[in-house]
Amino acid sequence: MFPIVAHNELAPKVHRMSVKAPLVAQKCKPGQFVILIIDEEGERVPFTVSGWDAETGTVDFVYIEVGKTTNQLGTLKAGDHLAHFVGPLGKPSEVDHYGHVAAVASGYGVAAIVPILKGLKEKENRITTVLQAPDRERCFGQSELERVSDRLILAIGAIGENMSTSATQPVRKLLANLAQSPVDRVILMGSLCLMRVISEMTRPYDIKTMVHLTPLMVDGTGMCGACRLSVKGTNKFACVHGPEFDGHEVDGWEVLMARRCSYADESIFQQGFQCRGCSQW
Amino acid sequence: MSEEKGPTSAHGTAGGKKSKLNLNRLEMPKQTPEERKRNFEEVATGYTFEMAIEEAGRCIQCKKRNCRQGCPVNIDIPDFIKHLQGGDVEGASRVLKRKTSLPGICGRVCPQEMQCEKTCILNKKGAPIAIGRLERYIADWERQEGATTIPEIAPSTGKHVAVVGTGPSGLTVAADLALLGHQVTMFEALHVAGGVLMYGIPEFRLPKEIVQREVRYVKSLGVEILLDTVIGINYSLDELLNTKYHAVYLATGAGLPMFLRVPGENLNMIYSANEFLTRTNLMKAYLYPKYATPIKMGKRVAVIGGGNVAMDSARCAIRLGAQEVYVIYRRTRSEMPARLEEVENAEEEGIRFHFLCNPTSFISDGRSNVAAMELIRMELGEPDASGRRRPVSITGSEYIMEVDTVVVSLGTSPNPLIASTTPDLKTSKWGTVIVNEQGKTSKARVWAGGDIVSGGATVISAMGEGRIAAMAMHQHLAE
Ligand SMILES: Cc1cc2nc3c(=O)[nH]c(=O)nc-3n(C[C@H](O)[C@H](O)[C@H](O)COP(=O)(O)OP(=O)(O)OC[C@H]3O[C@@H](n4cnc5c(N)ncnc54)[C@H](O)[C@@H]3O)c2cc1C
Ligand SMILES: Cc1cc2nc3c(=O)[nH]c(=O)nc-3n(C[C@H](O)[C@H](O)[C@H](O)COP(=O)(O)OP(=O)(O)OC[C@H]3O[C@@H](n4cnc5c(N)ncnc54)[C@H](O)[C@@H]3O)c2cc1C
Ligand code: FES
Repeated sequence: MFPIVAHNELAPKVHRMSVKAPLVAQKCKPGQFVILIIDEEGERVPFTVSGWDAETGTVDFVYIEVGKTTNQLGTLKAGDHLAHFVGPLGKPSEVDHYGHVAAVASGYGVAAIVPILKGLKEKENRITTVLQAPDRERCFGQSELERVSDRLILAIGAIGENMSTSATQPVRKLLANLAQSPVDRVILMGSLCLMRVISEMTRPYDIKTMVHLTPLMVDGTGMCGACRLSVKGTNKFACVHGPEFDGHEVDGWEVLMARRCSYADESIFQQGFQCRGCSQW
Repeated sequence: MSEEKGPTSAHGTAGGKKSKLNLNRLEMPKQTPEERKRNFEEVATGYTFEMAIEEAGRCIQCKKRNCRQGCPVNIDIPDFIKHLQGGDVEGASRVLKRKTSLPGICGRVCPQEMQCEKTCILNKKGAPIAIGRLERYIADWERQEGATTIPEIAPSTGKHVAVVGTGPSGLTVAADLALLGHQVTMFEALHVAGGVLMYGIPEFRLPKEIVQREVRYVKSLGVEILLDTVIGINYSLDELLNTKYHAVYLATGAGLPMFLRVPGENLNMIYSANEFLTRTNLMKAYLYPKYATPIKMGKRVAVIGGGNVAMDSARCAIRLGAQEVYVIYRRTRSEMPARLEEVENAEEEGIRFHFLCNPTSFISDGRSNVAAMELIRMELGEPDASGRRRPVSITGSEYIMEVDTVVVSLGTSPNPLIASTTPDLKTSKWGTVIVNEQGKTSKARVWAGGDIVSGGATVISAMGEGRIAAMAMHQHLAE
């Protein structure tokens, strides 16, 4: 059993949970994820780590309530226990010295990207970050992002608007300004549609653009193939070869998005569920 | 034991030998196909005491004892049958337990028709003793009647052993070494111990409670099982060897699913058998929403492949509510690797077999869901390396079949996780770990067995290899 040591609401339906899992905390690297099961009847559900402390043995992640498991997580309190917690899974994000890195984060990505940006900062990159949120109320994690970025741009869109327009505007500006301020690498963590759109925007400029893909997963260790996707014409498993991929090499976006939504029809009518091809904002 | 002859027992006629052979091999009672298609309860309900005695009574206790040779772990089959003939189930159980710690499992899933029953002398007359059914009876009897006797555990040797993977191979090694006084810790990546027995083989063929009982038994010997712990991630193999463990046994199975590599294979509603079976069996999607994991099922389901895994997938699909289930196999019925009994069960349940055809692509409904597949007809050509005639496609014979769910069941290979994080562990080009006859790998203090070595075989062979390796490990630890 894995005790919950802290649980806070960051915005409506957005929470940060901190779990005692020393074995996981010892090996965590930026961009990796865990799979948890709430109780013996529960589903295996993946979450990206947004922080960890090897000394206290805790692991943090931020989640959005979108369906059965995440709603149930929302009812748990510090002191409660999760039945299972395994990780860190997946390959860590590539972190090196690139120069100027532009990052775009939305949804839980706002928190989950922080360890990656910290790593990039340590490697002395200059970081421009775009934070996208559907509205002011759901804009969270701003100060953490500010701390790890040289410049933070807020892209707040109103509910009902085409979500992807908000973050794409500042990105378009950055791309228009490449002559004065070159961008050496782009890193995206948000909804599939947002990552896809921005990957397409950077493709003509040949700027390496890393995306963090979240297909449905079952085991998370390379055993089931649920998370497979086509990258440069070959099949990759997001849980072992990813979740970070070069967005320009992903050639199965349509299928990826459809697969991700296999089970969405049941939850799509739930309040707060925002589907633009996938459930995350 | 009085010889009981059923009314239909046949008499040998050949060669004028007056024979009292009873060739009336006793069937196990089963749920009717109509009934069982709608539930996940066990298909065959097992012998009663009287039936077990009757079937055991057919054994002529021949001198040859070929059945024992046919068994991968050389169970003293005639001896346990002899106890049964005398009505002594407990004695029979003791004989069994000398060679297998998983009789309730092996009695259900072993391919006896290829092993002990194949070599049974009565097989010449087409009616081998139903050894598997008797084994199952004994194990079930013990489960219901007997208190599991825990054999005597040798005094502690103070040596620590790590067993990676909790499938049948790992469980066997853990139990054997624990009984010899070693302190065993098992590591399991999943949240449940049991390996394929839990995540692959369905409840209706192998009730999970039976597997968990074996797991509890292994624990009762003092074995510690650490779930949710992935070797290659949480600890590398070298970390295990550099900490308290004097020896390691690798039994991580062959969990990496293979795909056809044809266009459209990633479309929505195309599952690997591993995903399909894991959702269904391990995560209990058939009990959704009580269990939180869903499984999406269409109406017309194609299962690609001809092995046990394909049969299990097809039979799960029908139970999950599919209207039509097709098994697509590129060779013919006689080359199918699946157990005959399971093929027959599948047929009774209304599953339809399409032989000599193979998918060449999958076609989308326009929204990235699978709507159909293109197949090509095959014919059998020259025998290949495995001795089976190689299927060759017939040019221009492509045709379309409408399906809305596909389960790809082509087999698996070992997960590269441990090998890729252990440079000095020698593997073959198929990713299997290379070992000697004792199960010793190229790496000091590391043994391996089961599917990670064979690339995919049977429960009993995984167990047998574990037994051999355990002895070798014990010798090493004693030095
Ligand atoms: C590698 C990875 C990292 C992730 N990191 C985070 C994170 O840090 N924070 C966060 O809030 N969410 C994260 N997700 C998504 C999160 O796993 C899903 O939101 C969660 O599974 C929804 O479960 P549910 O039972 O609440 O919703 P459901 O009722 O099951 O479904 C609601 C929606 O969530 C999607 N979903 C369901 N199950 C999965 C699954 N196993 N994998 C991916 N999507 C799923 C469905 O497509 C559906 O649209 C991540 C997913 C992956 C694959
Ligand atoms: C659907 C299906 C039906 C089958 N039907 C039959 C049948 O009827 N009869 C028969 O004899 N055989 C059958 N088999 C084959 C049989 O189940 C296997 O040969 C046998 O289970 C192999 O045992 P094992 O101990 O080597 O590995 P497995 O049973 O595969 O167990 C390996 C375990 O190791 C764990 N693991 C993997 N990697 C790691 C890691 N890095 N760290 C920690 N743990 C890890 C896995 O999660 C798993 O629990 C079937 C197989 C399948 C898939
Ligand atoms: S989640 Fe099963 S292989 Fe990736």
